[in-house]
Amino acid sequence: MRTIRPGLASGALALALAVLAEPTVALAVAAALGGAAKAPVPADRLVDLACRHAALAFASVAVATALGVGLGVAVTRSSGTALRPLVDMVAAGLQAVPPVVVVALAFPALGFGAAPTLLALVFYCLMPVLRGTVAAIEAAPADVKEAARAMGFTRLQLVLRIETPLALPLIAEAVRVALVLAVATAAVGAIAGAATLGTPIITGLQNQNELHILQGAAATAALAFLMESAWLIATGLIGRDQSNG
Amino acid sequence: MSHAPLASDAGRAADRLPAVSARAVGIGLRATLTAVALGGLYAGNWAMIAPNRLVQGDGLAAPSLLGAWAHAAALGLVALTSSGSGRAAELMAPIRFAGLLGLLIGMVVLTGLFGSELLAGRPAPARYMVGSGFWVFVAALLLLLLDDARLLRPARLALILGFGVLAVAIARRTGSFEALSIMVEYRARADVFHTALVRHLSLSCGALGVALVLSVPLGWLAFRGRRARAVIDAGLSGIQVVPAVALFGLLVSLLSLALGAWPRLRELGLAAIGPTPALIAVAAYLALPLTRGLAGGLAAAEPALIETAHAMGMPERRIAWEVRLPLGLPVFVAGLRVATVQAIGLVTLGGLIGAGGLGALVFEGMAQFAPDLIILGSAPVIAFAILSDLGLRAFELRLARPLS
Repeated sequence: MRTIRPGLASGALALALAVLAEPTVALAVAAALGGAAKAPVPADRLVDLACRHAALAFASVAVATALGVGLGVAVTRSSGTALRPLVDMVAAGLQAVPPVVVVALAFPALGFGAAPTLLALVFYCLMPVLRGTVAAIEAAPADVKEAARAMGFTRLQLVLRIETPLALPLIAEAVRVALVLAVATAAVGAIAGAATLGTPIITGLQNQNELHILQGAAATAALAFLMESAWLIATGLIGRDQSNG
Repeated sequence: MSHAPLASDAGRAADRLPAVSARAVGIGLRATLTAVALGGLYAGNWAMIAPNRLVQGDGLAAPSLLGAWAHAAALGLVALTSSGSGRAAELMAPIRFAGLLGLLIGMVVLTGLFGSELLAGRPAPARYMVGSGFWVFVAALLLLLLDDARLLRPARLALILGFGVLAVAIARRTGSFEALSIMVEYRARADVFHTALVRHLSLSCGALGVALVLSVPLGWLAFRGRRARAVIDAGLSGIQVVPAVALFGLLVSLLSLALGAWPRLRELGLAAIGPTPALIAVAAYLALPLTRGLAGGLAAAEPALIETAHAMGMPERRIAWEVRLPLGLPVFVAGLRVATVQAIGLVTLGGLIGAGGLGALVFEGMAQFAPDLIILGSAPVIAFAILSDLGLRAFELRLARPLS
């Protein structure tokens, strides 16, 4: 129970926000606040957008994870130290550039749709994963590595059987942070035509329909908490199984 | 386990290799970046000439545009990047850095000058824009420069960069860049651009100020009590998952409702559209890094030190000012850095709700499908974000140094 409690809390929050995004509830809330009655986004449209939103976030985090873990492993090898300053600076630079600017700059080259947003999210999520990977590998105690080497482990075995299992929990934590970041940020892609939960937000801004904005915002936040909850529960259960087994 | 001694021998042999192979990787990195730059120069679309600003132009390769200059640049690049390795390469670093910077500036100037030749005699709406090959070349050279920058002493780096800035300023004065389409776009709306620039910076600073005023008490509360910290952290993290665009829009609606209910607020200078909602929304996002930085900074001092201060009879307030604050400064500056970079990015979104700033130019460019206008608005945002990141990071390291 203790391993999944943080996950359940996020899950409850996700549920509450999803209810807020539901058309009739959102309409009632807006009316209670004194807003004029307007047409809400239908529930099935919202679910469809949420699925696309989640897929886009997952795809970006998958790419960022592959790149970040790969680069993180590379720069912590003794032969990769020469790459480290440049990799660090580029990752920090890519994260400093606001995602909306990446979307806008990529838009003329990559066109209308999901591609500019995918690029922006990969840029944005690369640094957390890279940082997490490097920190995780460096946190592995030197004497464990030394002992493994003394036992005759090859360098590949050292990576696969010692460093990876030791580093995995910290990397998983970094990927969770990246995933929540990606879900909260993907909405901005709507300005370049990516179908996400940002789409009702942007149309709401254009047509002055705050109901659409409220629904889009609540649904995005719900999705972020849902992802976090699923991730925490899954990693909590896996961690428990491993410590039992 | 019969193969263990063998594997161990291989491992030890591999241990002796790294010093050599790390150097090899460094050389390989430079060779790769050089190859990419050459690819941009020879295989890419260096520049385009189009009948007007909204059409894709006809591409020109660098050799056909710049002639012998392109080959000279290629030769210079190869000569500079293949200059020795190890100790020799480190001694060469300042020369290589200066050479690469000169090469980069020179190519931009040449591209501009040959452009004005091409444009001469064409109708006024004709545009001369740089292409993908040019951007690939510039990106590869910037990465090469970045890789070398760390080998230089700060004073020398500043001197070389200063000369670079001077060279660019002179080239601009003599009109070398006037033909480039981005400069044409800039000339067409220089006033709008400058207003947007000032508005962007003042909104970013304003939001930082508002967020700081909010964060000081919150950070103190979070530092004092574990319960308060959990509540504050959860509340402020909750804001982070609301998309910024939506928070801006919702604030516009809420403010207009509030102004309708209490018209007196208008006298305070509040308005439902424009800078007010942008300022509030951006400040709401900045509160998290600032509060965490403050609370973390206050807690950064070692318990033993605090105990000593207590034993000396220092009151809690003096301990906070004279022990915790100075020792926690690096942690707070780290929070400030994150908040500053976020502020510059988030203010860009204010362009969507009429708050002005550089975002307004970016979104106008997107609506018109005019890449030059997008670049004109984006370039200063990127420059501000990266410069404040670098500057505050350097400050942070400087503050942390005497401690370690």
